[in-house]
Amino acid sequence: MSLGAMTCTRCGDSFEPQEKIVNSNGQLWHTQCFVCAQCFRPFPDDIFYEFEGRKYCEHDFQVLFAPCCGKCNEFIIGRVIKAMNANWHPQCFTCELCMKELADLGFIRNAGRALCHECNARVKAESLGKYMCHKCHSTIDGEPLRWRGDTFHPYHFNCAACGNELTANAREVKSRPGYTANEMNELYCLRCHDKMGIPICGACRRPIEERVVTALGKHWHVEHFVCAKCEKPFMGNRHYERKGLAYCETHYHELFGNLCFVCNSVIYGDVVMALNKAWCTHHFACALCDTKMTQKTKFFEFDQRPICKKCYERFPQELKKRLKRQHEVQARGGKPAV
Amino acid sequence: MSKAARKALDEARETGNPELDLQEKQITSLEELPGLLSLEHITRLTLTHNRLTKVPAAIANLINLEILNLFNNIIEELPTSISSLNKLRILNVGMNRLDELPRGFGSFPVLEVLDITYNNISEGDSLPGNFFMLESLRALYMGDNDFEYISPEIKNLKNLQILSLRDNDLIVVPREIGELTRLRELHLQGNRLEVLPPEVGQLDLLGTRSCLRLEGNPWVPMIADQLLLGPSHVMDMLRNESYKFVYQRHISSGSQPPPKNFEAKNRKISRKRDVA
Repeated sequence: MSLGAMTCTRCGDSFEPQEKIVNSNGQLWHTQCFVCAQCFRPFPDDIFYEFEGRKYCEHDFQVLFAPCCGKCNEFIIGRVIKAMNANWHPQCFTCELCMKELADLGFIRNAGRALCHECNARVKAESLGKYMCHKCHSTIDGEPLRWRGDTFHPYHFNCAACGNELTANAREVKSRPGYTANEMNELYCLRCHDKMGIPICGACRRPIEERVVTALGKHWHVEHFVCAKCEKPFMGNRHYERKGLAYCETHYHELFGNLCFVCNSVIYGDVVMALNKAWCTHHFACALCDTKMTQKTKFFEFDQRPICKKCYERFPQELKKRLKRQHEVQARGGKPAV
Repeated sequence: MSKAARKALDEARETGNPELDLQEKQITSLEELPGLLSLEHITRLTLTHNRLTKVPAAIANLINLEILNLFNNIIEELPTSISSLNKLRILNVGMNRLDELPRGFGSFPVLEVLDITYNNISEGDSLPGNFFMLESLRALYMGDNDFEYISPEIKNLKNLQILSLRDNDLIVVPREIGELTRLRELHLQGNRLEVLPPEVGQLDLLGTRSCLRLEGNPWVPMIADQLLLGPSHVMDMLRNESYKFVYQRHISSGSQPPPKNFEAKNRKISRKRDVA
């Protein structure tokens, strides 16, 4: 082949008679044309890489086509591990917890991490009985935040009012009268929640979103305002207060009210009080002969019970004497007669 | 039968009044009041201040009876059938001549107030085995009897609010009395007590509705001194460790109890006397 028929593969021009010609696999180049297709510089040490008919220097070939390690960002020459949507040096693809190489051991994807079988088993055991975050699908170590019926890491959310990152004690505010629908089920930090003036139930310490009972200086869920004794809700029925506690009618009277000494029932209406006891007016009678007495009737005391004059007078002399003596001793405050 | 008794009985039958008052009618026997024990509707029967010597078993026919008052008669024996009065709430058999209560007496289902004051009843054979099963009892008046001991089973009377043991012969009070948490009145005056169990100190006997009577007992000086200052001082002292020591020592010393006052006891009209 004559010199005139030969042309440079790159520029297509002919060669000068004394000019150096580069021959690579039967193709001919001017020396100044035999350069990297990317940087147009000669190949260092005459090493080039060919890809789709073009020749590249080592550096540019790697930049353009070689896989990059997902961990160290260096090019991967030799074995490439393709996993977790990335390429890795075998020595760079390790368990995120114990740093063991995973290339030959196999791995398990756990919450976006590659873990060895042992670490995965351990993590799984640890998360047993813990809540899962419905946003990031990993376990929640501390207190979960509950919102719209699911559990979350509190740090995925910010307070709807002040924008601060939330903690587990954030409050979910449901629909309330006077608030528009798009304010429903928002999360607020405790501080902002308190400032909104939603009444807090004095029993369960949770916000009251429906009917509010106000009593004893506190607010209550209707079903949480209960008798301190029987714990039945008053549900709008009358309650009786004593020492900061509320009682139903029956138990208030049972505990603090007057039970009739005769019928042992709660006394409604007028009460006769005598000798540390109480009677319905119509049950107040002599303890010995059942003769009715009134508040004005003069009576004698016998074992702290009222007895009428007639019954007392029928007592045997010796008993009257003894009772009289005991009365005198008591009147003197227990001191013996001088 | 006296005219007055007959009149009251006729009236009860005619008007249907459930409360029958037959006090002070010189009645010596319920059999002399024909038809009385068939008045099923009556809820209260008052026979105070009569001369009854016994109560017939047919008293159990009065199935609706809630209050039965037999105070101040000369009854020597009650029928066993009396405890089948299923609605009886208040029973007063005070000031009679009872030496004992009948077998099965403790089976009243709803008895709330029992008054056996001024009889000749004491522990042991005088009380039937099931006496302390009267769980519904809220007041028990046993003053003017002959008790020297009270069974520890008294703790079963969980609802007891009033206990009178005035003028008996009590030598000790059982520690179990401390388990009667609802007790508000305790009458112990006129007995032979020297010490009280420290458990009494746990009871609520000093409130506005409470009553604690301790006079007329030969108390050890430690109690006697505090009693002069008032029952509240006694209660305070019962809770002291030093008193618990004194109590233990007294109990374990096995000293002779103070003597009985037979003379005073024999003056009681509940004693049967030989007709001279």
